[in-house]
Amino acid sequence: MVPPFAAWRFSRRFEAARKAAPEGPLRDFYEAGHPAFATPVEDLDMIAIDLETDGLDFDHSALLEAGFVAMRHDRVFAGTGKRIRIRPPAALSEASVVIHRITDEALKDALDEEAALAKLLPMLAGKVLVAHFAEIETGFLDAACRRVYDAPFVAPFVCTMALENRWFPRTRAADGLRLAKLRAQYGLPAYRGHDGLVDALACGELLIAQLAARNSRPTLGDILRR
Amino acid sequence: MQDAPETLEIAEFLRQHPPFGGLSDAELAALIRALEVRYYRRGSTITSAGDENEWFSIVRSGAVELRLGGSDLNARLGEGGCFGYPSLLRDGCAQNEAIALEDSLVYRIAKPAFLETIRIHPEFRAFFEIDEAARLRRAVDRMRQIGAASEGAADTLGAHAAIGSLVRRTGVVTGGPDMTVCEAARLMTQEDVSTLPICGDGKLVGIVTDKDLRRRVLGVGLDLSSPVSAIMTRDPVTAVPDTPILTALITMAERHIHHLPIMNPAGDVIAIVSSNDILSQLGSNALHIAKAVSVSADSGQVADATSQLPQALTGLVAAGVDADHVSRYVSTIGEGAHRRLLKLGEEKLGPPPVPYALVCFGSLARAEQALGSDQDNGFVFGDGYDAALHDAYFAELARHLCDGLNAAGYRYCPGNIMATNPTYRRTAGEWAEIFKGWIESPDPQAVLESTIFFDMRALAGEKSLVEGLRQEVFAAAAKNGIFLSFIARAAATTRVPLGFFRNFLLQDDADEGRVLDLKTQAIAPIVDIARTHALAKKLVATNTTERLSGAADSESLPRDAARDLAACFEFVRDVRFRHQAEQIARGELPSNKLDPASLSRFDREHLRDAFKLIRDQLEKLRSQFAGGVT
Repeated sequence: MVPPFAAWRFSRRFEAARKAAPEGPLRDFYEAGHPAFATPVEDLDMIAIDLETDGLDFDHSALLEAGFVAMRHDRVFAGTGKRIRIRPPAALSEASVVIHRITDEALKDALDEEAALAKLLPMLAGKVLVAHFAEIETGFLDAACRRVYDAPFVAPFVCTMALENRWFPRTRAADGLRLAKLRAQYGLPAYRGHDGLVDALACGELLIAQLAARNSRPTLGDILRR
Repeated sequence: MQDAPETLEIAEFLRQHPPFGGLSDAELAALIRALEVRYYRRGSTITSAGDENEWFSIVRSGAVELRLGGSDLNARLGEGGCFGYPSLLRDGCAQNEAIALEDSLVYRIAKPAFLETIRIHPEFRAFFEIDEAARLRRAVDRMRQIGAASEGAADTLGAHAAIGSLVRRTGVVTGGPDMTVCEAARLMTQEDVSTLPICGDGKLVGIVTDKDLRRRVLGVGLDLSSPVSAIMTRDPVTAVPDTPILTALITMAERHIHHLPIMNPAGDVIAIVSSNDILSQLGSNALHIAKAVSVSADSGQVADATSQLPQALTGLVAAGVDADHVSRYVSTIGEGAHRRLLKLGEEKLGPPPVPYALVCFGSLARAEQALGSDQDNGFVFGDGYDAALHDAYFAELARHLCDGLNAAGYRYCPGNIMATNPTYRRTAGEWAEIFKGWIESPDPQAVLESTIFFDMRALAGEKSLVEGLRQEVFAAAAKNGIFLSFIARAAATTRVPLGFFRNFLLQDDADEGRVLDLKTQAIAPIVDIARTHALAKKLVATNTTERLSGAADSESLPRDAARDLAACFEFVRDVRFRHQAEQIARGELPSNKLDPASLSRFDREHLRDAFKLIRDQLEKLRSQFAGGVT
């Protein structure tokens, strides 16, 4: 069951954010609207997204890369896969270079945060966003929008981790909800982690597997993060 | 921002799989731009027969079963397996049903992008041109080279012996560079040589072979009055008498040459050695086992001699001897063991009271024995046989023979097709009646069990008894269409596995476990096909390869089908012998069963081609002889 008033509450937040957004990419994003909660998943255009960051603190860690790929409920359009590299305000910490295999060399074609958002937002407009442990994506995009536009980022998000817990609750190991573990459970192949685009693809594949396993006809409201 | 598909996990995956490995980054990126990832739950249908198909599909993970239209045969695809392309190439509907056997992730590439890649990339196209037969022949060629180049076990074969030891024919026919092509051809015909060294000023300057005459003269319509120097291979590779045989063989395999001039220190050509000379030499050195068998004083000595057979086989395989020669060699030893044991029995029991023949059936009759074969034999009695008077002698002789064979590694026949069984001690007339029963009132089960009897050969005694029987039986079979349809149908019921699932092969009923039985699943169907044609055309040959070529000669089988089946037969037997050689090296008993996971990717792919070819030919056989009804 979709919680009562969830749609109304989301619309109100979305509308408030629209009003707060200045003219420009973020305003345009809101003007595109969002699909109704009652929309069957078969009719949704979605985008799986993964952000690579150098820490987990939304306000102080740097956003390094956004990988994303378009999808629908039963397929991922691999050919639409793209990545945007983002130049962090300060020099990269050594640890994140190792984890993400991102080097200063690779940052040469990176965009600063404002240019990156200007590129990213039009591609997300009107779509449902899909991420694994979506707190990261919502938090970092919101923090970035507040820095650049002084307005919040509100979008319909599906979190594959939350969805798994909600739809298929069971006792799990401490790391049992990690992307790679869940993928293995659905017979999905092991991918190299810590690459925004690969992780986005991996997350998109997980969602189509979850929807196939659910064997019901959910609506957007059923699958949205709460 | 980057258009990043080429850096995706997907590109890395595709690159590891054969049709994609040769694509450029740009070509691969074009395919990936048109690629969708789909996920199918176990048991769900991916494509139904008759669907419009717009996708070329690759299994990324899981397993997909193709149910082939109009048959109960299935192909199972594991990671990297491709499907959906025949209908794209044909521009028609899907003929096969594709079902997810497991939860499966499938990459699908849209038709236009696939066809464009086919159009611009010849190698990619070649992969999908469904010519399994050609790939198989290439596989056999490559395998021989690999085998020839591999080391080990060569000492036992004298492969390190000098090539000079092979030279038998002395006095080499040579030509001169000023001869015309016509004169050279005439000289080669007169002297009955297939290779003509060309010498000028006492020095070897070139070499001309039959093949050159075909390819550089007849094939291109060259004027026959052209000088032979225009078509010769200049400065040919040569060897000296001291060159080790194995070195020569490897050189020939590497350079794709079949003839090697042998030079003395003065620079004269003293002989031409062919690759066949070398291979037969490697085989004949192993003939000491045959000799040991033939002089054995008792069955214990026979067993001692045959116990060396596994080691000899390992050597032959390591030296790159082809499967046909290996099985002829193994069969020669088997024959020798039968003859020697029978002779020893006769010496012990006294001379046989009436004329008789020892007949063998199955693989030994076809000269296609491998290690671990069972014995299948019987006695055929001539005129004057009286069971009351004579059977005790032959029962005892049979016991001696069959016990001796069992001790020598030719196990008792599980179906009791042995001369120790009174059913298989018969006069020629009685044998003919048994066959007549099978032929004139066939029932499917009896036909299935009787097929090996139609591969028969006399090993000892009055061979004319067996030959007369064979002719009578084949004449009766050839004119009985109903019997032939039963035989063809019996062949077609053999389950040919079509796919490999990950590293495992799955049979239709998977009860057998994940084991590939090369004998029943690959070799027997080809033997069955050849036998059916042999019966229909009363072919004298018992050997499968000879039957296939005889079937082509008598137009029972198209020439290319016969050639492809022969290549396929060679390939699967080669896999078997290499497998058996590995088992021997590990100290295991040689068998026909292997774990598909132990196969190289190369063998797996070509086995898949082989299975497809066999399946197609079984279907043709069924429609040719059984009217397409099942």
